[in-house]
Amino acid sequence: ATSASFPPFTRLPHEMAAAESFLAFNPAARPGPAAASRRRYRGPRNRKKGWKRWSGPEAQLGREIGDFLEDVGLQERAAGGLISEQIFGITPNYSPSKIFRIIFGFFFFCSICAHQTPNGRKEKRRRQFWEKKAEKGIFPREERKLRARLNREGDPKKSPKSQKPPELGRFCDPLSDPLDAPLAGQDPWFLQQTKKMPVQRPPRLQVKPSPLPPVEVIGQGGSYNPPFQDHQVWGGFGGSWGGIGGPGGVLRGFWGVLGEFWGVLKGFEGGQVQAGHSAAPGPVPAALWAGSGVTRGHSVVTPGHSQDNDKARSRLVTLQHQALFQLRSLRRSLRFRDLELRRRRLLRERRRKILETAPKRLGRQRWGLGFWDLGFGPEGSVLRDRFKSLQRRNLIEPRARARSGTGKKSKFGGKKQKFGAKSENLGGKSPNSGGKKFKFG
Amino acid sequence: MGGLEKKKYERGAATNYITRNRARKKLQLSLPDFRRLCILKGIYPHEPKHKKKVNKGSTAPRTFYLLKDIKFLLHEPIVNKFREYKVFVRKLRKAYGKSEWGTVERLKDNKPTYKLDHIVKERYPTFIDALRDLDDALSMCFLFSTFPRTGKCHVQTIQLCRRLAVEFQNYVIASRSLRKVFLSIKGIYYQAEVLGQPITWITPYAFAHDHPTDVDYRVMATFTEFYTTLLGFVNFRLYQSLNLVYPPKIDSQAEDELKPAEGKEYAMDSESYLEKLSGLSASLARAVAPTHEDEVEMDEFPVEGETAELMDAKKKEQEALEKHKKLFEGLRFFLNREVPREPLAFVIRCFGGQVSWDKSLCIGATYEATDPSITHHIIDRPHLDKQVVGRYYLQPQWVFDSVNAKLCLPVADYFPGVLLPPHLSPFVTEKEGDYVPPEKLKLLALQRGENPGAGYEESEEEEEEEEEEEEEGDNDKEEEEDESEKEEEMKLQKMEEQKTQSTQSNKVTAGKVRVEDKQRLEQEQQSEEKRLAIMMMKKREKYLYKKIMFGKKRKIREANKLAEKRKAHDAALKEQKKKKKKARQA
Repeated sequence: ATSASFPPFTRLPHEMAAAESFLAFNPAARPGPAAASRRRYRGPRNRKKGWKRWSGPEAQLGREIGDFLEDVGLQERAAGGLISEQIFGITPNYSPSKIFRIIFGFFFFCSICAHQTPNGRKEKRRRQFWEKKAEKGIFPREERKLRARLNREGDPKKSPKSQKPPELGRFCDPLSDPLDAPLAGQDPWFLQQTKKMPVQRPPRLQVKPSPLPPVEVIGQGGSYNPPFQDHQVWGGFGGSWGGIGGPGGVLRGFWGVLGEFWGVLKGFEGGQVQAGHSAAPGPVPAALWAGSGVTRGHSVVTPGHSQDNDKARSRLVTLQHQALFQLRSLRRSLRFRDLELRRRRLLRERRRKILETAPKRLGRQRWGLGFWDLGFGPEGSVLRDRFKSLQRRNLIEPRARARSGTGKKSKFGGKKQKFGAKSENLGGKSPNSGGKKFKFG
Repeated sequence: MGGLEKKKYERGAATNYITRNRARKKLQLSLPDFRRLCILKGIYPHEPKHKKKVNKGSTAPRTFYLLKDIKFLLHEPIVNKFREYKVFVRKLRKAYGKSEWGTVERLKDNKPTYKLDHIVKERYPTFIDALRDLDDALSMCFLFSTFPRTGKCHVQTIQLCRRLAVEFQNYVIASRSLRKVFLSIKGIYYQAEVLGQPITWITPYAFAHDHPTDVDYRVMATFTEFYTTLLGFVNFRLYQSLNLVYPPKIDSQAEDELKPAEGKEYAMDSESYLEKLSGLSASLARAVAPTHEDEVEMDEFPVEGETAELMDAKKKEQEALEKHKKLFEGLRFFLNREVPREPLAFVIRCFGGQVSWDKSLCIGATYEATDPSITHHIIDRPHLDKQVVGRYYLQPQWVFDSVNAKLCLPVADYFPGVLLPPHLSPFVTEKEGDYVPPEKLKLLALQRGENPGAGYEESEEEEEEEEEEEEEGDNDKEEEEDESEKEEEMKLQKMEEQKTQSTQSNKVTAGKVRVEDKQRLEQEQQSEEKRLAIMMMKKREKYLYKKIMFGKKRKIREANKLAEKRKAHDAALKEQKKKKKKARQA
């Protein structure tokens, strides 16, 4: 793309340097040792190319720059100043085409430099972008951080100097490095960066990667007494042996629990009546209840009272009862629903929080492994228990079984056996001496 | 459009993490060294939220670290030491190869070493922090101290672990801070309370090692390396807090007692010192001689916001604790040779008891088996031929169970040859609605100061019967619970029948005063309401309700199942006993 933008008669700089028509001040044009220096020492020829061998377009360019600078020096020495200055200044000795070539060569070199910087244009744009932003008072992040640091140091509350207790007397430690003296009481960040102070441990590292306890005590099923077989019998139920209720806690009645629940509900009912729930429908027609056995306990019918009036009255009473029950039950069910929904929401939130805060398990089996899968059974070695515990707590990565030397050994053994077989075939020797025999043979 | 092209994986999560291999290269360390460094510095791998995003779209299993953490590691002076060590090994190998023994000597003299002190200080800014992390340290030290000296790890490490473990045990004895013990099949769990921090650790049984192959010994050794350093500091500090000399020294008075009478010593004093210490039978020397003051009661000032009740409760708790600490005070134990000496001696001494064993068993025996002042003789064999009058012969479990129960349990259950009650775990927390083994119930009753069943000290059979009765009663309850609904229905039916009967018989009888059972009426009404409510529920609600109830029922069912199993087990045992008795009689 660059060559297309130049006029057709231009040549590349190295061509120009080589061209005879170009300035005779070129070192290549000079006779003597300078010409010999053109042949660069390329290192020992019988060695491989190393990084020392300077080649490629950049090297070429670099060499040309070197030449150019040497040229400049030469000009200054020989002509008493740069020729270009002389051209534009006092004595135009050269033809305009030559002048053009000199000037163009210089600018072309500059353009190559710009081109050769990796991402030069982008960087330039970025620089410009940030310059514009800086005028508005917006800085890149790095600078912002540094400025913040500066500001913080200006703050007398947080500056370390003010925290330091006043020196009581001068104590001269003969072993201390006198160069460290001005560092005393300096900004800790500075000291850390200059390795004069250990780097502070960031507080995030004080938090354990897992909230699990280091030593998990196994349940009662894990003791020696009663014997192991009994444990198998008792613990066969999924390992949930351990719970202990309060005295008599096990056999708490199912309906007792329920009663408690209703008690709670009742308390709830008495406490607050929500205005929003006006959904309670009117009494359901008595026909709905007529067939069901609900009314049994409540209508008191004695043989003496068989009159219609009484019957009707009793019926009315039962109906009222039923309606009352129904209303109550409706209200209760609504409350119940409310309670339940709230409970479920709480549960959901709690679960989400746990999931958010809990560290993930490392490795492939992130969630799946249960307690017993990890070797926390009643028996087993403490060493493995410790190791697995470390893995479980994400302190070390969970890895597959460490490979011992068995694989290699078996391979070796196979070979040996082969030898043995051969030797047996040869002369019925033992496998150990087989190899030797083979060698001798 | 313009603007710069956004490249993938150059911002966001991908830039916060670094793979293990890249981290290793950045630190210029080999993998084992990197691992070691991470363990020592407490830098742990992280699981990114979206692994694929961090892993540049790949799903290959990789270990990730936080870039920040690795940058923090760059400052660590130990990294340089690791590199130096690498060079040292290279040089040494070369010198060996060339058989330049002078060089080898020189190199070995200048072997690069590193210290972990600064890391301990860095990781545990306060002493309490260190105490909180002591569980791991202790478990590891106790574990390594039991390793055989077979070259799985350095002998020095094992010895160091042993020394530190013994020192810590001696501290626990001196401070009487042990709280719980549980003997599991795997090992023994202990819990002590040090400066208000509960510390739990597990010790393996001696000589019970199969060496698992799936454990990386190098990792464990590195952890141990760090934890030994930590424990060294902690021990020192703990001894200081108790005014004890560190490294521990046996009290001069106790030392005199320990000296063998014949003057024949099997080892020099300096050699056998650790062994004497690990005997755990002697008290330790104090830096400042203890002044026996009359126990001055401190004036107690109520903290603000604390009621008198709370204060009382606290005081009671404190008293109970003091009592617990002095559980075995005044008792003299003797351990028979088949009994595991170390855990028993440790536990007994932790609660103020005196303990001794056979002279030939271990160093540090203070009195002999013939000593008349012995109160408890711990044996673990079915019967002993020569029994001395005036002391209890007990199985070792009595000691542990008593400690957990916080009182000296009745000895009858623990006589030699007797089937022991199960060893219950003191670590299990109590929850309502779970299965409680009957032994635990009994124990709780004992703790409350009741005598659970007067038959406890009477003949066994009576006790059994009582138990049976209890269980039967329990069973009844269960059935009630299970079938309470049915029963209600039954009641209703009965009532109906009564009604119909009353309608059928047209006789006029003398009017009876109806005794209105108010409670029953209320109950009925309530149950009625419940039924109605359930009926009126929407389908969804009903489903939900049933689910809840099912969960509750299941829990109860499970508890019942366990109880039944227990009952079956007991019944089987009883039958066996009866058979035995019959056989004996016949």
